[in-house]
Amino acid sequence: MADTGWSKHVADVLRRNDIRTYATVPDYIVSHVLEHLWTDPACRVVTVTREEEGIGLLAGVWLAGQRGALIMQNSGLGNCTNALASLCVASQIPVVLVISHRGDLGEFNPAQVPMGQATGPILDTLGIRYVKPSSVAELESQGDGLIKLAYTRSLPVAFVLPPELTGGKQG
Amino acid sequence: MSALLTRADATRLLATRLTNEAVVSNLGQASLDLQNIADRPLNCYTFGAMGQCSSIGLGIALARPDVRVICLDGDGSLLMNLGSLCTIAAQAPRNYALVIWDNEVHQTTGGQPTATAGRSSLAAIARGAGIDKALEVRTADELERAFDRMLAEEGPFVIAVKVVKGRAEGRLDRDVIGYARRFATALAEVPAG
Repeated sequence: MADTGWSKHVADVLRRNDIRTYATVPDYIVSHVLEHLWTDPACRVVTVTREEEGIGLLAGVWLAGQRGALIMQNSGLGNCTNALASLCVASQIPVVLVISHRGDLGEFNPAQVPMGQATGPILDTLGIRYVKPSSVAELESQGDGLIKLAYTRSLPVAFVLPPELTGGKQG
Repeated sequence: MSALLTRADATRLLATRLTNEAVVSNLGQASLDLQNIADRPLNCYTFGAMGQCSSIGLGIALARPDVRVICLDGDGSLLMNLGSLCTIAAQAPRNYALVIWDNEVHQTTGGQPTATAGRSSLAAIARGAGIDKALEVRTADELERAFDRMLAEEGPFVIAVKVVKGRAEGRLDRDVIGYARRFATALAEVPAG
């Protein structure tokens, strides 16, 4: 069993920045983060059917004065790219994305690799600032600042969680 | 059988009943009619992200359970996000209503038929998703009764309104940042209740 101690740090960074509503399509890696949030009575976790739905839902949450985060695999970034662009970026609606990074170092499934390699370029193309912390120390030093930037700039930001941090998924 | 309403006439029947509800309108025709007929700060027009109208409204409803939220979607758009009906059913917000202007075509792009022109019923799909208060209405009388129920009873409601085909009159003002800010400010000013 891989060490999942990193996952509480991710959950804590989100919670201490007043993020209380979470939308998710789970994967193996982010499920470790979700376990902390599901058991927290102060947090609402909504499982959506497709990541794009989470963007719409969390845009609504922000329009109603609250903060939200979408927790997903990078395959889901592909599923929600248009909504991110034409809703959040176009209308300047911030949302925090937490994305497990499949399809990069150590990947066993060839089908994951193209989206894995496209993840950074898609975020860059949309002008979405992201961090890719390879250790808990990096996560802790960057996390609060990234979330603060999202609401200062009123645009989405992303945590991309690489296998160096999470242990990835072993095939 | 009575004639179907136009989307504009159906929008007017809703507008006369509105007080402090948040109204989220779908991109294109629904937003154009709402903006022309009943522009108000508590309207949340959408201009992109086709399919997301019902989900945006769900997020507002969950964050502000004290405010009634009415989404004005289109058949083509909801068909892009049918999973939203399952999420609405699972969350079951009592302050949520999804109205679909169902003209059975992709109006904005030239009137190509959607699945509701054939065998598919959005009200039946909503019931299958787990939303008990899912209605299909075709006449002014039915629609007025449905709106009165929607504004008096606990939701979630899904009301598929069969309307005549046809483009909305006028021109949509697309201040995509300004309207979002205006809506957020107006909603924040609705006292918590």
